[in-house]
Amino acid sequence: MSAKVKTIERKGRTFLEHLYLVEVFKGMAVTFGHFFRNLMDNRRLYVRHYPEVKPEIPARWRGRHRLTTHEDGTVKCVACFMCQTNCPSNCIMIEAGERTDGRSEKLPVRFDIDLLECIYCGYCVEACPMDAIRMDTGIFSVTSYDRESMMIGLEDLLTTPAGCSEEEYQKGGC
Amino acid sequence: MAEMVKLFVNGEEVEVESGKNLIDAIGAVGIEIPHLCYHPALGADGNCRMCLVGIEDGRPPVVPACKTPAREGMRVQLDTDNIKKIQRDIMEFELINHPVDCPICDQAGECKLQDYYMAHDLQDSRMRVPQVTKGKKMDFGCGVVHDQERCVVCGRCVRFTRQITKTGELGIINRTDAARVNIFPGRPLNNRYALNIVDLCPVGAMTSRDFRFKQRVWFLKKDKGICHGCARGCNIFIDHNREKYKDDVIYRYRPRLNSLVNGYFMCDEGRLSYKEENENRLTATMIEGKETSFEDGIQRIQQELNQAKKPLMLISPNSTLEQQWAVKRIATLYGARCSGYSEGYVKAGDGDDFLICDDKSANRRGLQLLDIDCERTTLEQALGECDLFISFDNDPFRFGNNEELRNAIAAKRVIAISSHENTMTEISKVALPVASYSEYDGTIVNINNVLQSFTRAVRKNEERIDILEVTRLLGGAVRDNAHAWPGMKTTVEELAEVHPDRIPAEGLQLSVSEESHVSA
Repeated sequence: MSAKVKTIERKGRTFLEHLYLVEVFKGMAVTFGHFFRNLMDNRRLYVRHYPEVKPEIPARWRGRHRLTTHEDGTVKCVACFMCQTNCPSNCIMIEAGERTDGRSEKLPVRFDIDLLECIYCGYCVEACPMDAIRMDTGIFSVTSYDRESMMIGLEDLLTTPAGCSEEEYQKGGC
Repeated sequence: MAEMVKLFVNGEEVEVESGKNLIDAIGAVGIEIPHLCYHPALGADGNCRMCLVGIEDGRPPVVPACKTPAREGMRVQLDTDNIKKIQRDIMEFELINHPVDCPICDQAGECKLQDYYMAHDLQDSRMRVPQVTKGKKMDFGCGVVHDQERCVVCGRCVRFTRQITKTGELGIINRTDAARVNIFPGRPLNNRYALNIVDLCPVGAMTSRDFRFKQRVWFLKKDKGICHGCARGCNIFIDHNREKYKDDVIYRYRPRLNSLVNGYFMCDEGRLSYKEENENRLTATMIEGKETSFEDGIQRIQQELNQAKKPLMLISPNSTLEQQWAVKRIATLYGARCSGYSEGYVKAGDGDDFLICDDKSANRRGLQLLDIDCERTTLEQALGECDLFISFDNDPFRFGNNEELRNAIAAKRVIAISSHENTMTEISKVALPVASYSEYDGTIVNINNVLQSFTRAVRKNEERIDILEVTRLLGGAVRDNAHAWPGMKTTVEELAEVHPDRIPAEGLQLSVSEESHVSA
């Protein structure tokens, strides 16, 4: 069986198109049409006014991490190192210590995530047996002027609020 | 060689040693029978019932493998449905009141309950009533932390204190689900081998306070080594890890089985001596109190040696045979006198009849084999005559200061080639950092004339060379460990038959000469 040959019709070979100038003005008409329309009334703009207008981030979206707490404010993390063990980019660095708040026996005294190395795969969230680390903050823009400040510690992680409500998060099926 | 018998495991014929129980005999050919309470050093107890195996046509048909000796023609069944059901039921039974706090348990990763759950159980708990709660984080003394909830009451720890240390601090009190391991009120563990309980415990009921929460065990690299804490030379695992952006650090020592030397155990002091490998290390080359480069240090030592008329070299009883030999050779090259004086390493009366020795150096027998003089009188005489004093990682003031000797040494031009900061580096003109025993290869001879070789475990960020390499840089002829052996073999009668590449894993018992009866 021979292959089907489809001949494509070539466009842009008419005399007017060969003149070039006519087409340029046609194009400019479209551009200036949009320009003046947006200048008069920019509510119908096709692009988002970022950063003034933020996009809506769904609950399942994997943003910057946070550490969750119990209702009484104690950290849920028990420093089991599951996230660190599971992390494919090796960006989590934990140091464990003795716990005295009566929750269990162990807690993290240092919990650093190198956001420059993180690949936002969410394996840490999946590995966590305590639901202590989540990526539901909705923070997608992680920027800084220096490398050092891209290493976030325990305090930053604990004070970052959730980006969505608990119901939404649970519904998201994460 | 023990007599071999043939028996059948799951219908397959295997040849095993007779006289052993089924767990050990079949385990030696690589077939594992799950067990919790049995430990080869503590004997069979038969309380956990995890090792029940079927014997085809046997009376009784199901026996505990730990109490059953291997016999010719035995037909052992490990994979029949009733045996699997027994194992699953025992596991379910053990886990009824288990808190399953693996995330915070230091044993996780080397826990028999975890292993057997994955291998034999794999079912959800059917417990619908509240679990029995017991004591957690109990301080048993000697750095042992006990968690009664995790305990499977196998009694290994109790038997250890009764049979091995003969101190009997532990007991099991109460019955059924109230049974728990405890100490007598106000009488905590008090023996020098207590931390072995942590290794013996098949679950996370006994953990070490020193290692508590330091590392998860699966991060640790487990390299073989030999403890240099005393002249016994216990075989150990050096568990170390290089955390991200940090240095390679040792987190614990664990005993490694060697029936010729230490058996299954080691002393607490030796176990905690890993700290000395991490701390108080000499890191910078110092010349007259100023920090310089390593090359400058070597150059300076060479200059001093060339200028000196009568140098004296002090060899460490902790160095390997190869290092001691290399220093001895370089001493001849520079016309120096050699001494292995190291009474500072001896703690008289500290030893016992089990593992701990008075002599806290690892290779004093090596000094004797290489015929290096260790007498104090000859050292003092040589010290009087010498104009340059070089210590090769020997610290004569290791335990206790000897003011008189210190002054005598400090009066000389002192060069300290040392792995650690100590009195010698303090009083030295030149201090040169070298590797310590976890960072080099070598061979040592223990108090019972067992020759053992060990290999390098730790690689520090800033690597230090060992003493043998220093002697090479100073113009010595010995290039590496292998290069030291031909010379040693021709000079030392006991070593003549030794092949350094073929030293067995258990070590080599050297022929005993009358010297060895002189205790250190």
